[in-house]
Amino acid sequence: MLQAHSFLWNYLWLAPSGLQVGLAVLLWRRGIYRSFPVFLSYLIFEATEEFALFAMDVLPRVSPEAFWKAYCVGRLIEGLVKFAVIGELFSHLLRRWPALAKLGNRLLRGTGAVLVLLAILAAAYAPIDDPRFSLVSRAHILQQTLYVVQCGLILFLFLFASHFRLAWDNQTFGIALGFGIVWCEHMATWAVMASGALLDKRELLDFLNMATYHVCVLIWFYYFLVPQRSASASAVPAQEHNLEVWNYELERLLQR
Amino acid sequence: MTLAIILVVAAVVALGVILRLAITRSLQAKGNASLAATIRPIDIEAFRNLIDPAEDDYLRWRLPPAQFRVVRRERLHAMAAYVHVVASNAAALVRVGQLAVASGDPRVAGAAQRVVNDALLLRRNSTVVLLRIYLALAWPNSGFATGRLVDGYEQLSGAAMLLGRLQNPAVPVRLSAML
Repeated sequence: MLQAHSFLWNYLWLAPSGLQVGLAVLLWRRGIYRSFPVFLSYLIFEATEEFALFAMDVLPRVSPEAFWKAYCVGRLIEGLVKFAVIGELFSHLLRRWPALAKLGNRLLRGTGAVLVLLAILAAAYAPIDDPRFSLVSRAHILQQTLYVVQCGLILFLFLFASHFRLAWDNQTFGIALGFGIVWCEHMATWAVMASGALLDKRELLDFLNMATYHVCVLIWFYYFLVPQRSASASAVPAQEHNLEVWNYELERLLQR
Repeated sequence: MTLAIILVVAAVVALGVILRLAITRSLQAKGNASLAATIRPIDIEAFRNLIDPAEDDYLRWRLPPAQFRVVRRERLHAMAAYVHVVASNAAALVRVGQLAVASGDPRVAGAAQRVVNDALLLRRNSTVVLLRIYLALAWPNSGFATGRLVDGYEQLSGAAMLLGRLQNPAVPVRLSAML
């Protein structure tokens, strides 16, 4: 069952892409795409890419070399789109708070630059096992490099929001949580693959990647389908105790 | 292989942090009523005295260098404790303000917007000041100004008061007589 091209393998490869198409339709019909145009582009691109790669994998006339070349190009473009999605999430988080926008953007860029340097360093030390399969090794290293940066950036996003107690809207949070889980897991598995370890258990790592991505898409569906809890959207009046504390505070300020 | 192990450990830690923050967020959404309890009053006069450069100059002049460094470190520890409370109060007000921003009353929403912006700036400045305090602990003879933090705190107090009044006009506000 846990073998390449088994029923489960094919399901886990294609089902998330099918669900992504469904999610893209949902975003379009409900008009949510206006708030998340980059995320919508990502969903469409990712689904198209996966269907194309699956077809290339199944068709006998497509050579392995052609498959891996298409894979690398697809992942590079996908990586760029994902960085744009991170930017979209960050702008959603900060759009109402201009006081933090400048600092946030600077920190995001700084963190990104440091992560790119670390990822390049990690790529430089990654081994290329067999020269015959160098294209495959390079594809693994490319994935490791992209996920190191993406995982670091999404972690930064969560830490930044937590430090400043910024409230996420449900949909932004859902997208970020889905990506957070899948990028951390992908970083670990691609690091193992790029190192050349577990050569005989690659399928298991592929299954883990695909299953995690499936969960990630379901998380997105949940956050886009379930309405935001009203308590967090409604105004909670400052309670009397707050007023007392601040009264007390200001009285002392004025009396000094 | 060492690199892979480092990256796997980093990924596991990152995933743990993200999941923990996600759980904290959902718990916070359920516990908005306890926000008030998290605000702690600060003795601003004592804080001002603590960060007054003239006080430091006086102590430097009066005490032998070794003893000055000990006293200065103790004052810096006390400063850090104050700044932690400032940052914590600012965080609580960010949440109070964010919840009030959704209010239908434009005056309340405007006041809440100001509270959140002031509180965010104060929290940012508190982080910078804390870093500088920890640096100063290593070099007690160095001087730095935290006056802007106190000014920011006062500004935030005013904004929070305004928001409180707009949200609860029926609650008697003792300050109104003094203002």
